[in-house]
Order: sequence, then C-alpha cells, then structure tokens
Amino acid sequence: MTLASTTAAAATLPRHRLWGVSRYEVAGQPVYFEISWEDRRRDTAWARAMLADHGLDGTSGLIIVSGMPESAWFDPVETAACELGTPFSIGEIWSFEAFRTAMYASRLPITMIFGMDRTVAEGLGDDLASLVARVPAIGGRPDAMPLLTAAGARPFTVTRLGPALAVECPHRSGAHLDGAEWALAERDGELFLSTVGPRAHQASDAALGLRGTVTAGRCECGRTGQRVTITE
Amino acid sequence: MPDDRFFEPEIETLPRASLAALQEERILELVPYVYERSALVRRKWEEARVKPGDINSLADFTERVPFITKDDIRQFRDRAGDPFGGLLCTDYHTSTTVFSTSGTTGDATMYAHAWDEWHPFWAATARDLWEVGVRPGDYVLGSGFKMRGPLYHAEQMCGAIPLMVSTAIGGWAGALDAIRRYRPVCTTLTGLAMAELDHLSRSNDMRDVFSSFKGATFAGEPLGARARAQLESWGVEIFLWTSTGDVTAAFECRQHDGCHAWEDCVLLEAVDPADGSPAADGELGELVATSLDNPITPMIRFRSDDIIRMTREPCGCGRTHARFWPVGRKGDETIVAGHCFVPMDIWRALEQVPETATALFQLVRPAREIDELRVRVGYDPELTTSLPDVRDRVADVIMAAVGVAPVVELVPEPDLLARGRGGKLPRVVRS
Repeated sequence: MTLASTTAAAATLPRHRLWGVSRYEVAGQPVYFEISWEDRRRDTAWARAMLADHGLDGTSGLIIVSGMPESAWFDPVETAACELGTPFSIGEIWSFEAFRTAMYASRLPITMIFGMDRTVAEGLGDDLASLVARVPAIGGRPDAMPLLTAAGARPFTVTRLGPALAVECPHRSGAHLDGAEWALAERDGELFLSTVGPRAHQASDAALGLRGTVTAGRCECGRTGQRVTITE
Repeated sequence: MPDDRFFEPEIETLPRASLAALQEERILELVPYVYERSALVRRKWEEARVKPGDINSLADFTERVPFITKDDIRQFRDRAGDPFGGLLCTDYHTSTTVFSTSGTTGDATMYAHAWDEWHPFWAATARDLWEVGVRPGDYVLGSGFKMRGPLYHAEQMCGAIPLMVSTAIGGWAGALDAIRRYRPVCTTLTGLAMAELDHLSRSNDMRDVFSSFKGATFAGEPLGARARAQLESWGVEIFLWTSTGDVTAAFECRQHDGCHAWEDCVLLEAVDPADGSPAADGELGELVATSLDNPITPMIRFRSDDIIRMTREPCGCGRTHARFWPVGRKGDETIVAGHCFVPMDIWRALEQVPETATALFQLVRPAREIDELRVRVGYDPELTTSLPDVRDRVADVIMAAVGVAPVVELVPEPDLLARGRGGKLPRVVRS
C-alpha cells in the first residue's frame, strides 16, 4: 500500500545523477566527494562479490557497524546484502551504541559482523569475547584489529581509503580494492589514491593521510588487483 | 504524481470515508494473517477469547482486539526466547532489515521489514519532506541515525541529494562547513544538536548559515521555547515530527497544527491510558498504532506509552489524515511531596538560567513518587564562573516551577551529552 504508492510517485520524479555527497578528512581537512547512482550500482556489485566470497547468502545474518555519515562506503554493502538475501542490521559507530551491536548479535542468528571499529569494540567491554565466540566472521577496521584478535577473533580487514572501501577476502592477505574503480600508490609508506573508473568524483594521486603497504599480484581468491595493508 | 504541494495528492487528501474503507479492507486482511502467524497476537487474542471470525469491521477491531504493550513484547521475548517478542510473522530470513527502537528507556525492541528499493519505515516520509519543500536536485543535510533505517531514502525519493556528513554530537562544526559549500534546503535537528548549535552561534552568523534552508525537522524530544526562538531568529522554519508507535513517522505540515499520521500506513487510535476506552477527538489519550503495511512484524493495537491529543478534522493544508500533538510519555509525571509535574516543567525553568539555557538535564527518579527531587543539570563551562551561584539560581527556578526545593547536581554539558543515545538524552533516569 504505502510503500507501493510512494515508490510509484517517486518513480515519476527526475532522478538527479548524484546518489549523494560525502566527505572524508585528511590531516583534519575535509575532502568532499560525489557519488553517482552509477557509481553506487558498481560499488554494490563489487561489495556483493566480496560478501559472497565470505559465504553470505540467504541463510546468513549480518550486522554492519557504521554510521549515517559513512553511507557512501557502507550503503553498497547493505544493498549487496539485500541482493544476497541476507537480512542486515545496523550497529551505529558510537560507544554508547555498542549495546545495539551486542543486542543483535545475541538475539539474532548473526553469521557476520562487518566493519567493527575500535569505538564499538571498546564499548562492548567484557561482551566482546562472547560476541567473538558467537559470530563466525568478523570484519574489523584496522584500529579494532588488536582488540578483536586479543578477544579470540580471526578478523578480516574492512577499511576506508579516502572515498574507497577495501575489504579482505577470506584468505586475509591484504584488503582488496576494486581495481576497476581505484588505483593506489605507496611512497615512503604513505598511500595515494587515483580514480580509474568513470566516477563522479575524480582523484589523481590524492594523499589519504594513511600509511600502509600495497601488494599486487594474484591472490588465492583469484583476484589480481591491488591489496592494501594499513600499518598506522 | 507529485504536484506543487502534495507528493501523493490523491492519497494525502483522500476523503475520510474512503480512508476508513481502505483501512477496513486492510484490517480484515490483516486479522487472519496475524492470528495465524504472530505468536504474541495469538496468545493475547486467546486470552481475550477473540477469534478472527469475530472481527468483521473496523469497529469490531477497535472494540474487541486486545492491546499489545511493550512489556508484552519484552516478556514474550524473554520467556519464549523469541528475539521479536512474538511479532515476527515470517521467517527471519524473509526480512531484509532488522532495526530497533532507540533504547532510550534501556531496552530496545526489534522490528523487521522486507523491501527492495526504499525502506518502508521512511517511505511515507517522502510526503512530509515534499511538504517542507524538498525538491529534485536539492541537497538535504545529514539524516541523523540509522537505527530505524536510512532516512535518506525519503530524501532520494523526492529526487534530492543527501549530504552525508555527521550531524551527531560533535559533528556540527563540520556540518556548517558542508552547509556553506552545498547550500542544503533541509536537515533534521534534535535537542542535543541544538545544544551544540547554541555554542556555534557565538562564532558563526547563523542567519547566513541557514539562509538556504526551506525548513528543518525536529524530533526526539520536545522543542523548548528558547530553542524555538533561537531557530526562528536564524530564519529556520521548524517542522516537528515524532514516531507513530514505532510503525512510521508523523511530521507537521506548513500549517504547524499537529503531526500528520499517514493512515494508509497506520491505524491510529487514542485511548484513555487507564481503561483503554476511546479518547474523544482533541482529548488526551495514549497513542495506539496498528501497522497496515508491514507483513513482517506488524504491530497490532500497540500501546506506545506516548500521550497525545488527536483529531480527525481535516487540516488547513488540505490533508485529511489524522493529526496529533505529542504531549509526553506515560509515566513521566513525577510526584514529590504531593506536587505533580512533568519534565517539560523543569525544561522551561532551566531555560531561564543562562548557564543552563540549553536545558540539558536528567530527572533522577527511582520511582514515580519520591521524597526528594534530584535533578542532574548540564552547565556551560564557558559561561560559568561560580558553580555555587549557578546551583542556587537553578534551584530557585525549579522551586518556582514545580513547588519543590531540588537537590541539584551540576555536570559540564559535554559530560551530560555523552550520556545521550540515538540523538536523545534520557530525561528520566533511575540513577
């Protein structure tokens, strides 16, 4: 009824080429970037392949730890979960919201947490170990890795790289970047990003304010593009 | 097709008789559906000796179907080990998303939806944003939290472009930069955001900052008189909104004469909180909601604990759906030494003291009836030179407002903001 009628009304309106505008920071300075609907479609297809590699399907359950301002990176993951038939919940990235991640993980048949950061990991306190024991796959941000590992997890890396998202496959040999969209360069341990795909936001050797190492060559998962390990 | 005023002209202005017929049709489909599938509904109905065959009209439904409370859901959840408290009508894996209430009261409850493109909780909100003036190609700043699903879907349904930067606690300095660059037409504000904007107004020309805005929506808590005056002085038209019993959202229109409940989406009732009898049009009552468009976890005569005044009189804007005015939460009344008051009384009092004018406070109350009034009050460290002096003035204004001398605990505003959840600060706490 309501969903159907509002969806029909929305379909009569002109759709702007932009899906949204977001922002990341480098050395405290904001860098704005636009995302087109086409960008999002391709990002979703890439995220879907990454999630499928981790075994997500119609029998899985997913918590995505992210906030509204991170939707440029994580909305494609949400949509990919929808396409795979995996119900998802959002655990917000605030320490006072850690209870929500714990609640979903304890009450629902969750098989993966994607994007756990240090704030939420710390906010979980003593619950972190039991959550790690309960959930088979945990994708952690680089700042959460020591806590997750200490709690007994074998997390895979999920990391924002400026406007891009990188995700480790189950082989955990560095976070994959969508090579059809982005290219990384490393100089003296500093990471720089360029756009390769036809994105609304074009970057050329843009400093990310991150340190890491970039690996090229075939991964055991079969992907041949760049992988990155954040070192700081 | 949307016109200048309405996103869905026919539905938003549907004659009341047609709206009632639409609701009755949906309710009669829903009755056997939920009885068959919802374990909590079946138990409640069996206890009340109601069977689907007894319900043959909308009137039968509102007269005979038992209420469901949040405590019913929690008790079923805890006893049966059912995370959805007996509300789930399908398999978990049939749902697309599972989200939850804010948890301000300490125990969030979960609900689920199935969808393809747009999240159902916010679908009708496209009508409200259209009324605010959001149009294709406009930018809309932030969207608050995601715990109830992506509000930016409603913005995108209007053809607008979400500006996805933080408008949560600590994010507003950056949000002002985004406003200056993209000139958005709308945003969502909360009481906690207002506390931060109050500080930023000392170093920013807020009239200039908000000059591109057609309006801002405000929810989560009552809007205090001082905050309202402040927003008006910045040239911002405020549209209050609230949840409709966790089924959907209801926003004010440009008439600012109550929040519109979309009755094709929710069957709205107001009942006497004590005996559950229908409240007369315009009288105080507890909001009771029934989902008409959620086959996954439909709420059936859900008692929200929200006290409202409701009318089914058509609005001056031309919309025919019921409107309501949130008044408070059931049980928020506090009695100290025979004096009865609600949190808003303290809110107004604190606005009179410059150091506490953002009215960030918590009423510390182990029970509804207490012997001693304890209030935790946030103060602005930048404006405060003498804590004893502030404490005395705060105690005086609260005494004048509620007739009881309080015990005042002063806390720096940032520390109190850190106790917020989901954009809201719990105003009544046990400790």
